[in-house]
Amino acid sequence: MKAFSYKMYFFLIPALVYQLIFGVYPLIYNLILSFKDVNLITYIGGTSQWIGLSNYVQILKDPVFKKAIFNTLIFTGLSLCFQFIVGFCLALLFNRTFPLKGLFQSLIMIPWVLPIMVSGSFFRWFFNDQGMANNILLSWGFIDKPIPWITSQILPILSITAANIWLGIPFTFILLYTGLRAIPLELFESAEIDGANWWQNILFITIPILKPVIITILTLGCILTVKAFDLIWIMTKGGPGDVSQLLTTLSYSLAFNKFHFGKSSSLLVIMVLLVISLTILFNSIKVEEESSIE
Amino acid sequence: MNKKQRKECKLKWTLIALIPTIIIILPVYFIAIGGFQSTAEIFHRPLYWFPPHPSMEFYNQAWVTLFPYLKNSLIVALGNLALTLTVAVPAAFALAKFRLKLGKLTFLILLFTQILPATAVILPLFLIFNNFGLINNYFSVILGIAVFTIPFATVILRAYIQGIPTSIIEAAFIDGADLFRIFRSIILPLLSPAIATAGTLTFIMAWGDFIFSLTFLKDQTMQTMSIGIYRFVGQYGVEWNNLMAGSMIFAILPIIVALLAGKAIVSGLTAGAFK
Repeated sequence: MKAFSYKMYFFLIPALVYQLIFGVYPLIYNLILSFKDVNLITYIGGTSQWIGLSNYVQILKDPVFKKAIFNTLIFTGLSLCFQFIVGFCLALLFNRTFPLKGLFQSLIMIPWVLPIMVSGSFFRWFFNDQGMANNILLSWGFIDKPIPWITSQILPILSITAANIWLGIPFTFILLYTGLRAIPLELFESAEIDGANWWQNILFITIPILKPVIITILTLGCILTVKAFDLIWIMTKGGPGDVSQLLTTLSYSLAFNKFHFGKSSSLLVIMVLLVISLTILFNSIKVEEESSIE
Repeated sequence: MNKKQRKECKLKWTLIALIPTIIIILPVYFIAIGGFQSTAEIFHRPLYWFPPHPSMEFYNQAWVTLFPYLKNSLIVALGNLALTLTVAVPAAFALAKFRLKLGKLTFLILLFTQILPATAVILPLFLIFNNFGLINNYFSVILGIAVFTIPFATVILRAYIQGIPTSIIEAAFIDGADLFRIFRSIILPLLSPAIATAGTLTFIMAWGDFIFSLTFLKDQTMQTMSIGIYRFVGQYGVEWNNLMAGSMIFAILPIIVALLAGKAIVSGLTAGAFK
């Protein structure tokens, strides 16, 4: 295959160049911005000055930043946890043949294919003061007055998390389901002969075998959730006030609502570092896991 | 167990699986019926589970208002699809079948850009595109979305190409076929189902894009459906019925795709995740 030599690069170079120009270069540009006092005026006038780490100091001191870190932790932790539980139960339920299974699976994928604007709009209505959630709770007599799901101080981040759990179920379900299908049925049958019950099967056969799949799902899920922006922006824009601000929405509103480009850039640099360290962390767990199997 | 009992047992599982499936697609149902009701009916207490006086009026209104945005969404999604496949298919071929010096680096960069938050590139891209006068231009959105769809499609396609035996390529080479010829007459035909899968997923991602359209398209005549639907979130409150009718019009294409190509979507997503 060596004979093709340089010609093989024709296939590779477009992708490499594209990602360098539109993926890597913007990050470098962003890094430079984070050390300058760029706002709308200095950007248009081209008069921005180097100010060292001042943007980083400002952002780290900002109480909204601490709020955003806290919210991101809650949002990511709860989303991952519940998506996994629901996805795992669904995968176990679907790990057998029954009529209409294919149709049901396609229907469960719908939250993944739905444009985020559509699901976001639904949840805005669902959690509206007069919306579906309050409507049902009020008419069934569980509550006397509407719960301010996305307009109070503490609840908005939890409401957004609930919506995000719904969004993430298809992905977790389908990966776990594929993993489950790969386990040979004989394993369970022989365990049953030895007297293992359903719980023991799950705990001592399914979960240990699925461990690499589970780690992959948690890795991807964690990265996808930390990155989430659209849903929150559509539902609350990080508000009211800044109570539901995540790192992503905070950086976006700093840049495009307040035009503090430099400050936003420093937050973005922190976020990129966070995502990279998460990936490295998960990868090292995965490598350890694989070497222990060998 | 005799045959009849076994069949009943299987039907039992269908009924059990029906419950979570219905709960999961309930939001889609409520958006769909919301478009047939007046705003007062949407907020009626107790909740209407079926539209009491279904009317096509709001779907008609939403269709007329949103048609230009629908056209823009189609331009962006198809433009992005063409760009993504043109770049990703050859790259996936090179990454799957050749050990190139730059191969490992390219793959790492692809994986790296794929994990980036969109918010991390959108500010620098906005400022860069602004310098080139690309804001309010379809190209800015197409180029921006492709930063994420190119790695996504390449990783999926690479997994599929690895399944094509290398001996076929070697045999063609010994017969004197040129590399481009091998790509065109062997790889592309064998890969067409995988290209359809990766293309479907790419299309769905670009069709549903929110952040790039929101940031790069300020001119109303250029905006996509994601932003066009905001037309119904007015100064004096939200026109919920039109908003829901518009949402359904926007969502119908991906929903049909999911129902027709559910299997392909599943296999593509898993190929991409377990790379």
